[in-house]
Amino acid sequence: MIRIRAPQETAAGLFLIVLAVLVFWQTDDLAVGTLRALGPGMMPRLLASLCAICGIALVVYSLVKDGAQLERWSIRGPLFILGAAIVFGLAIRPLGLFVAGPAAVILGSMATRDSRFVESVVFGIGMTTFCWLLFKVLLSLPIPVAPWLLGY
Amino acid sequence: MEAFIGNLELGFTTALSLQNIALCFAGCLIGTLVGILPGVGPIATIAILLPLTFQVDPTGALIMLAGIYYGAQYGGSTTAILVNIPGEATSVVTTLDGHQMARQGRAGVALGVAALGSFFAGTVATLVIAALGVPLTKLALIFGPAEYFSLMIMGLAFAVVLARGSILKAGAVIFVGLLLSTVGTDLQTGDERLTLGLVDMMDGIDFAVLAMGLFGFAEILRNLDNPETRDVVQAKIGRLLPSKQDVKDCIMPVLRGTFLGGALGILPGNGAVLGPFASYTLEKKIAKDPRRFGKGAIEGVAGPESANNAGAQTAFIPLLTLGIPPNAVMALMVGAMTIHGIIPGPQVMTKTPELFWGMIASMWVGNLMLLIINLPLIGIWVKLLKVPYRLMFPAILLFCCIGIYSVNNNSSDVLMTAFFGFAGYAFYKFGFEPAPLLLGFVLGKLMEEKLRQALILSRGDFATFVTSPVSAGLLIVAVLVVVVAIIPTVRKGREEAFQE
Repeated sequence: MIRIRAPQETAAGLFLIVLAVLVFWQTDDLAVGTLRALGPGMMPRLLASLCAICGIALVVYSLVKDGAQLERWSIRGPLFILGAAIVFGLAIRPLGLFVAGPAAVILGSMATRDSRFVESVVFGIGMTTFCWLLFKVLLSLPIPVAPWLLGY
Repeated sequence: MEAFIGNLELGFTTALSLQNIALCFAGCLIGTLVGILPGVGPIATIAILLPLTFQVDPTGALIMLAGIYYGAQYGGSTTAILVNIPGEATSVVTTLDGHQMARQGRAGVALGVAALGSFFAGTVATLVIAALGVPLTKLALIFGPAEYFSLMIMGLAFAVVLARGSILKAGAVIFVGLLLSTVGTDLQTGDERLTLGLVDMMDGIDFAVLAMGLFGFAEILRNLDNPETRDVVQAKIGRLLPSKQDVKDCIMPVLRGTFLGGALGILPGNGAVLGPFASYTLEKKIAKDPRRFGKGAIEGVAGPESANNAGAQTAFIPLLTLGIPPNAVMALMVGAMTIHGIIPGPQVMTKTPELFWGMIASMWVGNLMLLIINLPLIGIWVKLLKVPYRLMFPAILLFCCIGIYSVNNNSSDVLMTAFFGFAGYAFYKFGFEPAPLLLGFVLGKLMEEKLRQALILSRGDFATFVTSPVSAGLLIVAVLVVVVAIIPTVRKGREEAFQE
């Protein structure tokens, strides 16, 4: 009876194998070339093969040797942190830092249960002001501040 | 000798210009400030602070970045002593005796000795870099593509062996890093590779995007999952200056640590990591009473801290002379240099000597500043340690967002970074270390280029890598390192060393 003894290693190995398959699938139209003139497909496929070998080895090991459990994935953290980044990315051009900044901080703060809403609103406005002073006023980086209000 | 002094003179005139002193000071101060904050290691610190240097000229920017780097490194040692949390692998050893000293009310002395030892080590390392810079650059010029390729293989072999966790996984992570570097338009044929049809991927994955995703966002996610318990020392910091007896106890460990750390740091694989471990083991071995170690022995702080700083600096040697970053932090420096239009390598010294020597001289200035900044400001640093994480991480998040956006003024970069942030989180769950990935990513493009060049020169004959004695030697070392690490007995020792 085959039993997974190290779920973390199994997952890691499977991830590598999937990655390798993805690379092979995406590069199937690229020339591998010859030794004298390596083609563009050579390195990606070579490296993908190496990844796959490591992946297979990890999976095999995970069936024979006891190892670490796969930790629980939290949803709250990635959802709000990465969500905040995506909102920032989408809002920075059209709406500017004065909207994207507080939005990112407030949304990001929700990633933990410890945060308090009023505090994060105040903090978001404060941090945005600080970043505006630092990056725009002091370092004059070309960041849109509030195009709808100021025109830049 | 005359050239040596002339070069240093040029360096110091550059480093001591009013603007550069100010930048160096700002870099050291901000680097320490951010490096000390909970959950922010040196790699994350540099990644977050990168945008601060965008508007400065390249020399100034590199001086500032180097300052940030030492500051972050020193911040790591401070948290190691005061909170028992090492900022990076190199300050792990400092926690052993440093934190014990802090518990005994000798935190001040531990910090003072760490700062003084680091300053001494930094001074020596600066001189070593200045002395070895010219000859090593000459050596670099006789390196052909085959030798370069083999050197990078050796560097990666060391990086695999010295990474934490299983060798198999460290190797896999490096392959993934190399793989990511192949994304984008192929330089020789113009074919699109692995771009998934996305226009934003045509130029390849941006270095800053990858670094901030893996070390900015993913670190936040990791810290949120595992809130670290901060055991901030409640005892008094005590006086900072070591007593006469302390100084006497420390002189030899500092000298030995500097030598060990400096020598190991030059290795083009992550040798700097070994320095503090080697120094600690050595001090423990030759101590009259080894039982004192782990219970607040001052030698256990002085030696490793000197080794740490010496290694942190001599790690610049492979980068500045050969253009090959030995570890993830240096890979980040490569990224920063490229953003400023400088390709690291032997030509930096010949083409822009004031940049090269100015940066080296600024290393010494930076070390002096750390000494001046840190000791009087220690009270403020202690307060910073108590900043709650719920306020920390939104600020880091905002800084990262603004930083990534301003690299290319491209908002889709922020979305890509979010993706890599998630990938970094998954990596963490799979038990992969992200640092070797970054190194592989930075070396990848150069490796492929050199491999292709070498094969064109040799008309497709792989023997070119073994017929050149230098290349063959480097490859043999690479194979030996990996083989030795796989042998069971050594592996056990390695695991123990990392557990300690």
